[in-house]
Amino acid sequence: MRQSPLLACLLLMLTGAPARGQDLEVKTHALQNGMKVLVHEDHSIPSVALYIFYRIGSRNERPGTTGVSHYFEHMMFNGAKKYGPKQFDVVMEAAGGSNNAYTSQNLTVYQDWFPPEALEQVFDLEADRIQHLAFDAKVIESERGVVASERRAVVDNDNAGLLSEQLWATAFTAHPYQWPVVGWMVDIENWKLDDLKRHFEMGYSPSNATLVVAGDVKFDEVVRLSERYLGLIPAHDPPPPVTTKEPEQMGERRVKVVKFAQLPLVMVGYHVPETAHPDYYALRALEKVLVFGQSSRLYRRLVDKDQSAIEVSGGLDLAFDPTLFTIIVQPKEGVAPGAVERALYEELDRLKAGAVTERELQKAKNVLLAEFYREIQTINGKANELGSYEIFFGDHRKLAGAAGQYARVTAADLQRVARQYFGEKNRTVATLLPEKAGPEKAEPEKATGERPKAAGGK
Amino acid sequence: MTRLWTRLWLIIAACVSLAGAARGQSALKLPPHKKVKLENGLTVLLMEQREVPIVGLRVLVRAGSVADPAGKEGLAAVTAELLRRGTRTRTADQIAGEVDFVGGTLEFSAGHDFTSGSAEFLKKDLGVGLELLSDVLRNPVFPLAEVTKLLRQNIDEIKQQKDEAQGVIGRYFNAYLFGAHPYARPATGDERSLAKLTRADVARFYEGHYGPGATIIAVAGDFEAGEAERLLREKFGGWRSGAGAGAVKLADPPPASGRRLLLVDKPDSTQTYFQIGNVGVARAHPDRVGIALVNTVFGARFTSMLNDALRVNSGLTYGASSSFDERRVAGPFAISSFTRNATTAEAIDLALEVLGRLHEQGLSEEQLGSAKGYLKGQFPTQVETPRQLAELLAELEYYGLDEREVNDYFARLDAVTAAEARRIIREHFPRENLVFVLIGKAAEIRPAAAKYASQVEAREIVRPGFD
Repeated sequence: MRQSPLLACLLLMLTGAPARGQDLEVKTHALQNGMKVLVHEDHSIPSVALYIFYRIGSRNERPGTTGVSHYFEHMMFNGAKKYGPKQFDVVMEAAGGSNNAYTSQNLTVYQDWFPPEALEQVFDLEADRIQHLAFDAKVIESERGVVASERRAVVDNDNAGLLSEQLWATAFTAHPYQWPVVGWMVDIENWKLDDLKRHFEMGYSPSNATLVVAGDVKFDEVVRLSERYLGLIPAHDPPPPVTTKEPEQMGERRVKVVKFAQLPLVMVGYHVPETAHPDYYALRALEKVLVFGQSSRLYRRLVDKDQSAIEVSGGLDLAFDPTLFTIIVQPKEGVAPGAVERALYEELDRLKAGAVTERELQKAKNVLLAEFYREIQTINGKANELGSYEIFFGDHRKLAGAAGQYARVTAADLQRVARQYFGEKNRTVATLLPEKAGPEKAEPEKATGERPKAAGGK
Repeated sequence: MTRLWTRLWLIIAACVSLAGAARGQSALKLPPHKKVKLENGLTVLLMEQREVPIVGLRVLVRAGSVADPAGKEGLAAVTAELLRRGTRTRTADQIAGEVDFVGGTLEFSAGHDFTSGSAEFLKKDLGVGLELLSDVLRNPVFPLAEVTKLLRQNIDEIKQQKDEAQGVIGRYFNAYLFGAHPYARPATGDERSLAKLTRADVARFYEGHYGPGATIIAVAGDFEAGEAERLLREKFGGWRSGAGAGAVKLADPPPASGRRLLLVDKPDSTQTYFQIGNVGVARAHPDRVGIALVNTVFGARFTSMLNDALRVNSGLTYGASSSFDERRVAGPFAISSFTRNATTAEAIDLALEVLGRLHEQGLSEEQLGSAKGYLKGQFPTQVETPRQLAELLAELEYYGLDEREVNDYFARLDAVTAAEARRIIREHFPRENLVFVLIGKAAEIRPAAAKYASQVEAREIVRPGFD
């Protein structure tokens, strides 16, 4: 076994050698239609991870059809021309592969994991659905029920999902990050066939996609197959740019959810810049100081010292547009959310008043490095990291530079970003307050506001 | 939003191999590793895998929640969690600081059969990691303030988990299925049992069950085996304790007969969560591979019969699956899904219909071939990382299995015929004798629930406990 060249390069960076991003063992190829192909060969196990990143997500949607990106993602598995309904999964699994996909505010990402012998088969499957997706009315209705069930599972019957939805809906008033990726239930009920078609025409040009293949493959073979299967798909305009900018927040915003629950929940969000902004690295380091592990400031204060909470978490996600730094506190039963909030703000004020210690800063850097190694232990993680850097930082080679970026972060940077972003006027607070169940009364079925069961499929 | 729930359908087959494996789906071999038994009885397993500068560690102590005294459920779990909350020379805060500073992880928890520790450190920090691991395993002092704090936290954690049906349905199902057998006990404990635990209970549990003779430590990743062995001898060679010599005796739980149903009322629920099943098989059961193969077709991948019927064809749910939780003796077999309140009966009927179809039709050659291809193709990624490898080694050792579990896996898959699959379906996929657990809004789903069993019991989710 060997150390991967990707790592060798990163280690060089850490030990102070000059940046040599070009040494990364990632080979790239551009198809004529604008699709970029990244390949990382790793023969440690007989397996391949193939990702296709489309630069389209819920930020590209409009009110009335929220969640359509995610719904479309589901439809991508429901039949095309050569491979009809169910065949994508049937053929993939028989060939030893499995797959998944996810939609975020920013992207729609398709993931296949399979043995190397199945490489050409997977290209054939992907090419078929990218070009010739079928829009079968019956299948669309059936899938609507699936998505509604998913929403019920991850939002309506999950307090954290429910409260998070309200936090974002309150913090953003203009920008599309205000609506949930899964979509509002009423929009899920009302999507039309034409909405799906329009979404496909907007977001699925090859020029709007990046293909990443990591694992037991040869670069030349991936190039040959991508040319053959994907190279002739015509390109068209990418989605129109998202021009809406969230106006500066001028004062604290608060939202409450009151429902049946045993424990309250508190979420706080601060507006912070997009991933490509230079402050990203300092904010990630700050995240580690605040919430990573039992040595973090918020754990020590809220869980350990005050004993007012059982769990703290938070941080920021990759995003094309200015986003939120969130802090989630799970208070104990009976603790007033206000008490948790006060302690939280005291801790944030401490970060603004004085610099973090050298040990805290070094811990943050060590954690970020260890997390990077954990991610690239698997070919799946490598594909995901390479794609993420290519998409959100504009170049996969910035992955190699990340360690250097983190190394340059200083205690003064952390203090500066804490002062700049963790202010009261920039804050949105969402609290979930428990309401004990009233006397049980049977409600008519329609009270849940749902459609009758979707028509059966094939 | 993900399409599948974090790969819900992937069965966790506990076997695998990788490096240097022949291409294609030919037999894979467990990479070489070394087993050392120290003089004090500690079992050490070492496997070098040098791809990423990370070392994964897995510790198994032969005492899980089955060793909890009745009424003190959660004792093994609390003891495990308290290991890192203070030793003779380090406070909880110091331990957290040292682990976090190097970006490491060090976590202990208890399942039904055993207590486990998982740790991951960068190669350069292996010495730090082993020192901390040794200290928390050998010298915990269970400070009273930490015990009290943790117990209060865990009680609230149970309440928090009960706010989401998905996270607790398995514990209700276990309790209802296993009845008087120790597997009925929630490994986490519950609101009542945790309130009764004391520091003395924790200290006694530690003294009685933790010791080198009851412990397996597996280390995999980027290190030199000789050096790691020397470090382990240095850190653990002086551990003296006769505790845990005799593991808790455990009889096979009797399967449930007839049909009974538990309805747990969660008044805010807009969706019914359900599990249907019976007692399954032990980890070392000779039919294990055949069961995995049949279950792949039935309910353990996206195109499985259950998911196809309940999700793909009907849009009733986001997912339907089935699983065998294999333990020292027979653990549970369960079909799991969820659907909106109004379609509760429709979804359960359909799940039972699919189970009936499995019995009537058996597996076609095409289904058998596809499932074999799928399990083989997914095999390598299941023990790709040092941590996965360490877990595999420790588990094989614990269950008294060996490398044949991995080396013969493909051959055992290939050997399963349609006739063999029929036998396995008959023996391991009960159709008439079934236990049902539903969590949902009782006011709306009670009539639907009543049709599945003459015996229906009801609970409120806020009522302490899972039984």
